[in-house]
Amino acid sequence: MQSINDRSRDIGDFFAEADDSVLICRCEEITKGEIRRAVHDGMFTLTEIRRYLRTGMGLCQGQSCGNLVKKIVAKELGVSANSLEPVFSRAPMRPVEMKILANERGV
Amino acid sequence: MTMRIENHPILGDFEKGRLVKFYCDNRELQGYEGEPVAAALRAAGILVHRHTKKNAAPRGIFCAIGRCTDCVMVIDGKANIRTCVTPLVEGMQVQTQYGTAAKSECKQGELA
Amino acid sequence: MKRYDLIVVGAGPSGLSAAIEAAKYGLNVAVFDENTRPGGQLFKQVHKFFGSKEHKAKIRGFQIGQDLLAEAKALGVEVILNATVTGLFQDKEITVKIADAICHYKADSIIVATGAAENTVPFAGWTLPGVMGAGAAQTLMNLHGIKPGNKILMLGSGNVGLVVGYQLLQAGCELAALVDASPKVGGYGVHAAKLARAGVPFFLSHTIVQAKGNDHVTGVEIAQVDENWKVIPASKKYFEVDTICMAVGLSPMAQLINMAGAKMETNPQKGGCVPISNAYGETSLAGVFVAGDVAGVEEASSAMIEGHIAGVSAAAYLGFIGKEEQISRYKDLESSLCKLRQGMFSLENRGKVPSTTEEGYATANNLLYQGFCTEEEVLRFPGTTKQVGVHAVIECLQNIPCNPCQEACARHCIKIGEKITSLPSVDEEKTCSGCGMCVASCSGQAIFLVDESYADGYASVTMPYEFLPLPQVGEIGWALDRSGEAVCKTEVVQVKTSPVFDHTNLLTIKVPVDKAMSARFFKGGVFHAIHK
Repeated sequence: MQSINDRSRDIGDFFAEADDSVLICRCEEITKGEIRRAVHDGMFTLTEIRRYLRTGMGLCQGQSCGNLVKKIVAKELGVSANSLEPVFSRAPMRPVEMKILANERGV
Repeated sequence: MTMRIENHPILGDFEKGRLVKFYCDNRELQGYEGEPVAAALRAAGILVHRHTKKNAAPRGIFCAIGRCTDCVMVIDGKANIRTCVTPLVEGMQVQTQYGTAAKSECKQGELA
Repeated sequence: MKRYDLIVVGAGPSGLSAAIEAAKYGLNVAVFDENTRPGGQLFKQVHKFFGSKEHKAKIRGFQIGQDLLAEAKALGVEVILNATVTGLFQDKEITVKIADAICHYKADSIIVATGAAENTVPFAGWTLPGVMGAGAAQTLMNLHGIKPGNKILMLGSGNVGLVVGYQLLQAGCELAALVDASPKVGGYGVHAAKLARAGVPFFLSHTIVQAKGNDHVTGVEIAQVDENWKVIPASKKYFEVDTICMAVGLSPMAQLINMAGAKMETNPQKGGCVPISNAYGETSLAGVFVAGDVAGVEEASSAMIEGHIAGVSAAAYLGFIGKEEQISRYKDLESSLCKLRQGMFSLENRGKVPSTTEEGYATANNLLYQGFCTEEEVLRFPGTTKQVGVHAVIECLQNIPCNPCQEACARHCIKIGEKITSLPSVDEEKTCSGCGMCVASCSGQAIFLVDESYADGYASVTMPYEFLPLPQVGEIGWALDRSGEAVCKTEVVQVKTSPVFDHTNLLTIKVPVDKAMSARFFKGGVFHAIHK
C-alpha cells in the first residue's frame, strides 16, 4: 500500500489514448482522459481522485462509475485494481435531503 | 406500435391502476395511476428525460431501479426526481430537466 | 425507539429467507427494503429455476418470490417497504429514511442482505437514452409491462444476458444480436440454445465500438476482437437498433456493511469488494451477519439457502436455538448449498474449459463456442437414443445442477441419479407414453419428443413453446434447426396447453423423417421478424 502512495514513483508519461473522450462518471460527466490525467497530476489514491475530479460524488454516489474508475486508475499506476484502497463508505447510504436528515424520529 | 405488453406468454395481463391524464412539458399524456412515471413516458414514446449540466447531453432510463439517477426529471416543480421509482399521480406535471432545473427556470441560453 | 430481535436489511430472496428461518425459532423480525415492492430481483424472473426440488426447481422465480412473502407474513415478520437504511451504527442501531423522516431502530442481531448491482461497460455513445442494463430491461418488461425497445442488441453471454435475451423475445421484442468479447458462451448451453434456435445470431469475440444516434440510440457498431482484445477494424458491423442492453456482471452493494466497520476483502471471484464472512454468514462484527449476493455474487437459489443459514446463526447468537439443533440445521443447509455449487459452472471450474464431461463424454464444443450444439454432438450424448415410436430426446450436454426431468417422467424413462449435475440419460428399455411432462418440466427447454414413425415418411417433433401468439393446429410454417436456419416447411399437428405445464406449451410439428433430428423450432407466419 505504501509503495502506491509514494509520489516519487515514476509511472511514466501521459499518452493520449483513442478512447479518452468516453464518459466514465455519468453524473459529473468526467471522461476517461480526465481521470488518467489526474493520476499523472499526482492523484494516486481513489479518495484523491474523487475529491480532485468529483467522480463518484454526483447524484448516484459512485454506483455506476466506482468500479470503472478503479480499473482506470490502477492501469495508469501499473498496479492491480484489487490493491487500491477502496473509498470510504459513510452514512447516508443514499442521497437524503437536509430537511429529512433534520427530521429524526424514535431516537 | 404500442410499447405496452399485452398478454405476456408467462405473466398474462399486467395489473394496472386507472388510466389518468398527466403532462410532460405541457403536453397532455395518459398513463396508469401508480406505475413509474418513466414507464408511462416510455409507453408514450418519450426517451429523453433530461439534458446534462456540462455537455447538455440527452439522458434517459439506465438502471430502471432508482440507483443511477439518469432518469431524473422535474416533477411538480421539484428537480432530481427519479422517474423510474416515482409512482404516477393524476395531473402530474413532468418537465424535461436541463442541468438541475426545468427550462422555464433558466435564463435565456443558460443552463441552471 | 423500536427494538427487534433481528433486523434484516433487504427483502430479496436471501433477506426474506433469513427472516423466515429466524421467525420460526421465535425471533421478532423486521425486514427493511428501499423498494416499493419486496422480493429483490426475484419478481422479475419469469423463467423456471434449476436445481432440484429442495431448491425449488421448475418453479418460476416470481412465484418463489410470492411464496416467500406469504410465508414471511404468516410467521409474523414485519416487512417495511419504501424504507432506505441509511446507516448501520454501533450497538446494532440503524437509521432508516421513511417518507420524510429519519427513524431509528435497534436490534440484538442484524443480517445485511443488500444484494448486488449491475456492472457497466463504457463505450462511445453509452450515455444515449436506449442504452441500459439488462436488469433495467427486465424491470421494464416483467414488472411494468413495457417493452424496453423494439430492436435490441444484448451485450454479454452470461446467464443474465441469455435469460434476459429470451425474455425480450417473449415480450415481443426483436433481438438483433448477442455479443460477447469472450470466444465462448459464458452461461448455460441450454439458455444459449433457446436463443440460437429462435434465430438470434451470436457474435462471440466481438465488442461494441459505438452506439449511434442523436438524442437516442438508432444503431450500434460492433467489431471482432483479437486475442489481445484489440478491435479488428475490417470486421466492423452495423445494426439498426433502438436499445442496447448490458449484461456484464454484478457487484455486491456492500457499502452499508462496510460503513458499519466490518472487515472487507477484494475478491474478484465473489464480484468485488465483499465483507469477510464464513460459511455461517458471520462477519467480523459480532451479531452482524450477511447473506446472498452482498457476500458473493451467485444466484437466487444459493442466496435463499445462505439466508436460511444466516437466520440460524442469528437465532443461535441470541440463544433461541440449542447447539445440537443449530449444528443439525447447518448440516442440512450446507448439504443443499453444496449440491448447487457443483458442475461445469461452479466457482472452482470457472474459466476452465473441460475436454470432457464428468462422465467422460467429449465436451460439446460447438455449444460452447457457437451457442448451439450440432446434430453430431447431440447424437453421442446419453440423452439421445434410437427408439421406435415416440421417445424423449434430451439435448442437455453440460454438467449443471438440475434434475426436474427425472422426477417428471412417471415411467422412469429419464435418469440422472444421486448427483444432480449428472447428464440426463434416456432408458431405451422403458416405453414413453408421449405425455410431454418432461418437455414442459425442463427449465432449460432442452427436451423434445421425437417419433420417427409418426406417419409414412414423416416424423413428429414436440417442442416446448413459450411465445404468443400460440400457433394453431394446421398452421404451415418453417422448421428451424438448432442454429436458427430453416430446414423445411412444416405443419403444426398438435398444440397442448395444461395448467400442470405452467405456461410451457407443447408444440408438435410434422417433418420429413430425415429432419427428425434437426428440426427444433417453429417459425410461423405471425412470429415477429427474425434476422440471421
